Amino acid sequence: MKKLYLIATVIGLAALSSVALVACGGSDNSSSSGSSGNSGDGKEGGILNATYASFPDYMDPALSYTAEGWTAMGEVYIPLLTYKHAEGAEGSIVEPGLAKEMPKISNGGKTYTLFLRPGLKYSDGTPVKASDVPYSIKRMIALSSGGSPFYYKIVGAEKYAETKKGDIPGIKTNDKTGEVSFTLEKPSGTFTNELALMFAAPVPTGTPIEDESANPPPGTGPYTITKSQPGKGWEYARNPYWAKDNSKAMPDYPTGIIDGAKITVIRNPQSQVNDIEQGKYDWMQNPPPADRYTEVKEKYEGSQFKVQSTISTYYFWMNTTKPPFNDVKVRQAVNYAVDPAALERIYSGQIKGTHQILPPGMPGYEKFDLYPHSMAKAKEMLKEANPSDLDITVWTDTESPNNEAGEYYEGVLKEMGFNTKLKIINADNYFTVIGNQTTPDLDTGWSDWFEDYPHPNDFFQPLLSGESILPTNNGNFANIDEPALNKEIADLGEEQLGPEQESAYSALDKKYMELAPWAPYGTRTLSTFVSSDINLENIIYNPTFFEYLTSFEFNE
Amino acid sequence: MAIDPQPEAVTAEGPGADFPSAPAGVSAEGHGPWYLAFKRFTRNRVAVAFLGLFILIVVFVLAAPLWADHVAHTGPNKTHTLEKLHVGDEVREVVTPEGRPIGPQWFEADGKFFLGADSRLGRDEMVRLMYGGRTSLLVGIGSALITTAMAILLGLLSGYFRGWVDTVIARTLDVLWSLPVFLVGLALGVALAVGGLKIGPLEIAGGSLWIPVIVISVFTVPYIARPIRGEVLALSEKEFVEAAIAQGAGPLRVMFSEILPNLASTVIVFFTLTIANNMLFEAGLSFLGAGVQPPNSSWGTMISIGEELLTTQPLLAIIPGVMILLTVLSLNIVGDGLRDALDPRSKIRLEAHAGMVEPKGSSV
Repeated sequence: MKKLYLIATVIGLAALSSVALVACGGSDNSSSSGSSGNSGDGKEGGILNATYASFPDYMDPALSYTAEGWTAMGEVYIPLLTYKHAEGAEGSIVEPGLAKEMPKISNGGKTYTLFLRPGLKYSDGTPVKASDVPYSIKRMIALSSGGSPFYYKIVGAEKYAETKKGDIPGIKTNDKTGEVSFTLEKPSGTFTNELALMFAAPVPTGTPIEDESANPPPGTGPYTITKSQPGKGWEYARNPYWAKDNSKAMPDYPTGIIDGAKITVIRNPQSQVNDIEQGKYDWMQNPPPADRYTEVKEKYEGSQFKVQSTISTYYFWMNTTKPPFNDVKVRQAVNYAVDPAALERIYSGQIKGTHQILPPGMPGYEKFDLYPHSMAKAKEMLKEANPSDLDITVWTDTESPNNEAGEYYEGVLKEMGFNTKLKIINADNYFTVIGNQTTPDLDTGWSDWFEDYPHPNDFFQPLLSGESILPTNNGNFANIDEPALNKEIADLGEEQLGPEQESAYSALDKKYMELAPWAPYGTRTLSTFVSSDINLENIIYNPTFFEYLTSFEFNE
Repeated sequence: MAIDPQPEAVTAEGPGADFPSAPAGVSAEGHGPWYLAFKRFTRNRVAVAFLGLFILIVVFVLAAPLWADHVAHTGPNKTHTLEKLHVGDEVREVVTPEGRPIGPQWFEADGKFFLGADSRLGRDEMVRLMYGGRTSLLVGIGSALITTAMAILLGLLSGYFRGWVDTVIARTLDVLWSLPVFLVGLALGVALAVGGLKIGPLEIAGGSLWIPVIVISVFTVPYIARPIRGEVLALSEKEFVEAAIAQGAGPLRVMFSEILPNLASTVIVFFTLTIANNMLFEAGLSFLGAGVQPPNSSWGTMISIGEELLTTQPLLAIIPGVMILLTVLSLNIVGDGLRDALDPRSKIRLEAHAGMVEPKGSSV
């Protein structure tokens, strides 16, 4: 019965149309192994025998929109740009991938020009051409990938999504020089992040425009997927063209230490933990189940187990368009009543309490707490506000401990003086239900958000901007629509991120928390758990791509 | 719910066996059949003991508010995640920072957290067990009442009128019988728990207890209606029915004044066993999230919550499990005892849970 948090969360959120989720990561010590991915003290070679609790949503770079998929394919498909192979803030830096250098931005921030590195080859020997880039983006859009809305800012891309015919006029290429240029509708501060997502990773022109999960297309990375059996597992081997060609073209990109890997899907996390303890498997991708978490942590932390922070926010939203939550006083009262410390325990210590929108690790994060917990103050404020309607419905999903968080929240609201009703919806369609404006009684409820890429805009635009209020697949569950703040989000979104913008995002965080459309309560931590054969120290946990396959190493 | 559609073979009995035998030492003369049945039942020590156990369980769950208000000082849905328990000089966390609920305190904390906390929400397991038992029994008894009432009505109509009425009802019951009951119950339970139920003026909110009650009672009707129909078919050919008709009694009068009293013993036995059966059904549905909706507890939901902590706090799943076991066991044994007492010919062999079987060749 026990499912994984991340899976359901991710699938649920991926249902949100515009800019959905994924990702996790970011850690406190960022300098541990640097970006080389070179071996530490261990030995070269070996086949990693690992386990996932579920098969990724897709084993196709154009379609996968889950943590599992991005971890699985991160070292197989390299986009034009990529994230630095490092942890924490350093791992949020965008670097050239298949592109020679970072894009030249011209035309008032609307044109991005890049050049492919010469001599690149796919794992089947086909040379990489500049024209593969628009083909891959067209393929992704034609497949209605969850990631396609990221690229609608390219001139003509949205029209292509409707017609699925012709070319995208905003992408120009030259196969001789390797030049690729993107023209955008308007300037964007996030486009380099989006070019570093796997959705935009090139695959050979002519790759069938269908879900290729059972037969993943050739990639450019150091490893290639040699076998994929959806639902069961998959295998990696070294890319035969990596050492000869790609590694020479991309000398900074890690080559990887192990020779390959075999992944088995084991749906029972309890037995995954046992298997790792006994050394039957070398690594489990998902965290141990809540019941075993403390035991595993106490026994193995530092040697085989490491807590990894993610860039995520868990929160309760309040529908600002309907009484009683249309009154800012009521929403603030709820913020006083919700106690992140209690929720930390409900999540077995797997969240860290926060009380703001941006999570630690996100550029622009600056710690503050406008609403230190006080039930007395909450009750008093609610009495003062004296809302006309005290009957509310509280929504959450079935995934433990989100359901318990919902039960806790309902208890808190009841204690404040509301008449509550709890609705617990199956995690597979929770976000579809609460994202549909015709669903009755959407008053308040649980949600979470994991970054798509480490850019603060990814928290404000999809979740809090009035533009993101949609009749279905809504992501702005609070339905908050403040024209001044909407404009601020839009304007900031066009600028490249710098210190000035970061402090503007931090100020925006505070402005939203004053309006209190959410009662945020924490940021999620995940974990890496490996067998005693693996060198834990060497593993790099990136905020966007999680554990890099190139950083796994067997102990001597 | 394993249901054996194969009727058990009924041993052929001679006409002499048709007479209810009076228990030894009790003269059959001058006593009504109910008195005889009562005497027979009280001789069955095991059944009486388990009836006592069942009454104890009922008293236990009825005492829930007393325990909650005067001993535990908390409600079934009240969370205590961050609270600390003072036991003598020792301070114990109700839920540790790692999310481990406190274990049974017995009387160390004056009865607070007698059986520990139920989960990371830190609710009092004992209080939830008592209130959860109320829910479980209420759903079991409530749905058994509805099931039995519907079954009697359908069985009477079908068995008495025969013809097309019988065809329609019996075939409908067959269809219901052939459905994978648990799966359909699960699907319906999930769908209705979210959206609620609206039929004309009847409106039931999603989290209401009526949802599992209705789902369970509808699906268990065939298991009683079919045997009752069989018995009505047999009874309606009896002389006293003919006599009543000859005296000018209409169908309603015949059905309810003549036939129904003769069904009493069957109905009582079935009713008892159906409670047990339906409680198991409810526990299964609730365990899978399709029955009683959180934050309310029932023994089924408590097992489901406890399952997650099975390796560290196994009692959380075992205790409600044992309660279900004891209740169902006692109801089954009492039901068997009642059957033996009311119907010594044992035409109808039934075991709740294992299957309710239509009598075959019930020519009386």
